[in-house]
Amino acid sequence: MDVKFVNPFINAITTVLPQLGFLTITRGKLSTREKAMPSLGVTVLVGFTKSVRGNVAYNMTTEAACKIASTMMMGMPVATFDEMAQSAISELSNMVTANAATNLASMDFEVDISTPSLTLGDNFSVKISDIQYLVIEMDIDGNLIEINMDLH
Amino acid sequence: MKEVRVLIVDDSKVSYMMLTKMLEKTNFKVCGYAKDSEEAVEKYQIHKPDIITMDMNLPDRDGIETSRHILKLDPNAKILMISAMKDVSLMIKGRAAGIRSFLQKPVDPNEFIDTLLLLYQNEMNLHTILEESYIKPLVKIFQRELFKLSGLQGKMMFEETRDVDFDVTGTGVIIGLTGNPSGRMIIYATDITMIEFARLVLNLSDEEDLSDEEAQDAFEEAANILMGNYISKLNDLLKDNEIRIAPPGMISGNKIRILNTKLKSFKITAKTRIGDLEMSIGFARRQDEWM
Repeated sequence: MDVKFVNPFINAITTVLPQLGFLTITRGKLSTREKAMPSLGVTVLVGFTKSVRGNVAYNMTTEAACKIASTMMMGMPVATFDEMAQSAISELSNMVTANAATNLASMDFEVDISTPSLTLGDNFSVKISDIQYLVIEMDIDGNLIEINMDLH
Repeated sequence: MKEVRVLIVDDSKVSYMMLTKMLEKTNFKVCGYAKDSEEAVEKYQIHKPDIITMDMNLPDRDGIETSRHILKLDPNAKILMISAMKDVSLMIKGRAAGIRSFLQKPVDPNEFIDTLLLLYQNEMNLHTILEESYIKPLVKIFQRELFKLSGLQGKMMFEETRDVDFDVTGTGVIIGLTGNPSGRMIIYATDITMIEFARLVLNLSDEEDLSDEEAQDAFEEAANILMGNYISKLNDLLKDNEIRIAPPGMISGNKIRILNTKLKSFKITAKTRIGDLEMSIGFARRQDEWM
């Protein structure tokens, strides 16, 4: 796991999210993890290929996902993580990942990203690596998004 | 993708041999050869090819005239004109006659295959293309690799699962696909089936222990091998796109909902004596594709 891949993602979030109506975006703690992570409720997995390979998993609670989706839809109330909200989160992960890919390209890492896999559940685990990988916490208007990344 | 039959019309035997060579190892099969216009019309009626490659300069009549004759017999004939000269007026005349595509000699092999593919695909329902080119090979490879890895004989089934979300209970391996088209696949099974499968893959006797983690690792590796084989086959088959696979990720738990939003997806099931091994593969839909 290389720390140099962290900033492209933080920059992506701080660039993309204000355009979607989010006001305060702060970086929380950076830590490492091994083996599987517990899903917080909504986990989006995106695969990377070409000069950087690996997976990134955006992990958040269903509640945070609903609030984020609500902001993206101009404050429309989102009570349950319905189809509209799912689509919003899927779109958000697409936009952030695509922006991070552009940032990586400017560092001379050409990457291709897969379609995001959106997974939901009350109690499941997600494994993106057999070895140690990085976890970046981002606070988005009081909602936590955990970015788990294993890129090489 | 099913075999696509090609009739080559060219007065030069060397050109014929070169084009035939280019189509080796593809799904395009040369079903006949005609060296002049008269023979072209005759061979078209005998072989009923899916596509004709037509040389412009033939000893008796030119390629455009020959195409007109064939199109009179079968207005749906798909003709690719290959000529040394590719000038605009020739193309206009050719198009007016009903020729679909044009290529210039010397023909670049990749361009040739791409053009044939386009010519063929345009005629088909896009759904059929996806199913024929992407899913059917996968079903076969799934079955073959399952047998190679574990000795299991799978009874295979597949269905389209457009916009239908599904639940995974047990373990699932998620592999992202990048390129054109991008997508993702998930291979999953209940933990009982997954562990049994891993034991077969690792060739363990009843006395030998296997931890859940080791079982998952074996399952993940099997999925990775399967997808690797599939993608290289796909890239070989469809020379116009290069699809890559991301490293595998894994999910494990009860009733994990997998969303199929914005995906054109298929579910493939291998029914085996140790239970079902299931796969969902989804390709991203784009504005004008896969709809």
